[in-house]
Amino acid sequence: MSERMPGTGGPALNRLVTPFYEAAGRGLLVIQQCDDCGYHRHVPTDICYNCLSWKWHWDESLPQTGTVYSYSWVDRPMNEHINDGKVYNFAVVELDGITGNAVRLLTNVYDVEKDSLYVGLRVKAAFDPVAGKYASPGGYGPAGADIAATDVGPIALVVFEPLEGAAA
Amino acid sequence: MSADWLSGKAAIVGIGQTAFGKRGEFSERGTYSLVLEAIQKACDDAGISPKQIDGWSSYSNDPNQGAMLSAMMGCDRLRFTAMGWGGGGGAMGGAFMYAAMAVATGQADYVCIVRGATMPGNARFGGMGRPGDGPPHGMISPGNSFALAARRHMSRFGTTTEHFGEIAINARRNAANNPNARFRDEITMEDHHASQLICDPLRKMDFCMESDFGTAIIVTSKERAKDSKNEPVSLVSMAMGGPPRWGDAWFGQAASDPSGMGSAVGGHMCDDDDYVTGGYRTLAQDLYDKSGLGPNDVDVALLYDHFTPMVIMAIEDFQFCEKGEGGPFVAEGNIRREGKIPVNTHGGNLAEVYAHGMTHVMEGVRQLRGDSPNQLDNPQIAVIAAGASMAPTGAIMLGKM
Repeated sequence: MSERMPGTGGPALNRLVTPFYEAAGRGLLVIQQCDDCGYHRHVPTDICYNCLSWKWHWDESLPQTGTVYSYSWVDRPMNEHINDGKVYNFAVVELDGITGNAVRLLTNVYDVEKDSLYVGLRVKAAFDPVAGKYASPGGYGPAGADIAATDVGPIALVVFEPLEGAAA
Repeated sequence: MSADWLSGKAAIVGIGQTAFGKRGEFSERGTYSLVLEAIQKACDDAGISPKQIDGWSSYSNDPNQGAMLSAMMGCDRLRFTAMGWGGGGGAMGGAFMYAAMAVATGQADYVCIVRGATMPGNARFGGMGRPGDGPPHGMISPGNSFALAARRHMSRFGTTTEHFGEIAINARRNAANNPNARFRDEITMEDHHASQLICDPLRKMDFCMESDFGTAIIVTSKERAKDSKNEPVSLVSMAMGGPPRWGDAWFGQAASDPSGMGSAVGGHMCDDDDYVTGGYRTLAQDLYDKSGLGPNDVDVALLYDHFTPMVIMAIEDFQFCEKGEGGPFVAEGNIRREGKIPVNTHGGNLAEVYAHGMTHVMEGVRQLRGDSPNQLDNPQIAVIAAGASMAPTGAIMLGKM
């Protein structure tokens, strides 16, 4: 598991999403973008919801910033495997630089306290490396397989932290 | 607008339910046993034999298959089965639409809508910790999703936890008079605020409690309904659907998304205005258009209340107040039995039983027949909202025949 990842298990890995986590492993937030109409989309799919094109690429030129759209704090995790039983947040961040309808990520905001996380907080992407086990429905290996034993490169979760000067 | 072709062509003639238990209480007995009891009671209510049921409808992968139930009860014929896609209680609205279309077009004489559950051990109806983009970030339960919606609604409209508390208080107040309800003790705002904070802003009393139960409802054509033992209730209109770019839920838990990352695509890309809804906006209008009626014609609303904020959003979606004003609307007492639009007069998921919407339909039937535990004064029209957020979610409008 990662150093700080609060949740249980790693992400699912398969042809549609693994490059997202591998890019995060290289310290970059990428989002699927249609080759034909330029719309971004998330979660990854084969086909553009706007123009129905099958041609797409990972946009590596996003500004890596966004705005907190919603969040929740979990004071008492359901068991000790979740964030070691300690308080954590999960959040939705709406990304900057998106063409088409808004794209939001399900994520965490690190380096904030209860009184400094709010809807509207400006944040930048950060990356939390995942090591060890991951879940894999229809992915590269059985659930709980060891990433080191696959051809998947280093992966990370995309999380966020306050932009300089943005924290309350 | 004139009513659509299906309007009023089918009716509910029988409702049946088992005792309601806590999660796992009836697991030894199993869901088929629970549902069989409910079917017999629904048939007794309708004045028919279970052997006359020739159609079956359900939703959310209900484990009680029509073909099996038909065999167990030696039904004369098996002519029609239907299952609604999606999770939670969303497709319950659809299950009634399938049944109504089947009996109105002669595909079946009596369609039974069934739903039963018993959840032993650590099983959870909404799923826990399935793969997807939620669990690695610590978002592992349905409550987590609804906390995000609640927070967004609070941020946009100034909705408060007192508003959520009123939903819970109203549910308990109504359940106090319902002998079948699981939670009959009335609560105060202090009780609500003192209950454990689970995922801020949601507290334990904002959650419904998972339950064991069996339920069955019999639908037949308007013509056959005239022969039923007890007063039939007309299916005035039904609608199902969800917002654009929403997928099967706002932030589903990846079960139905081929990328395995999240629900395709839910809150990741839906319209800002849809995020703060129960997903009913378009289908509520559809429900009204099909009936030729509007929100002012509705006498009682049975709104899916697995989490308190979703009732506030449903009240807005079904146009009982303006968007964003649901919080103040409930705080003014408008959803109490004495209020402008009484909501969940049986106690709902929060206090009667979490039966994935079926008991909301049953309470609509009781109100129109005149035998609710909190009977209103001669109501004519009831609206039922199926599971919030879970698309295709749905709605049902019931009326006196």
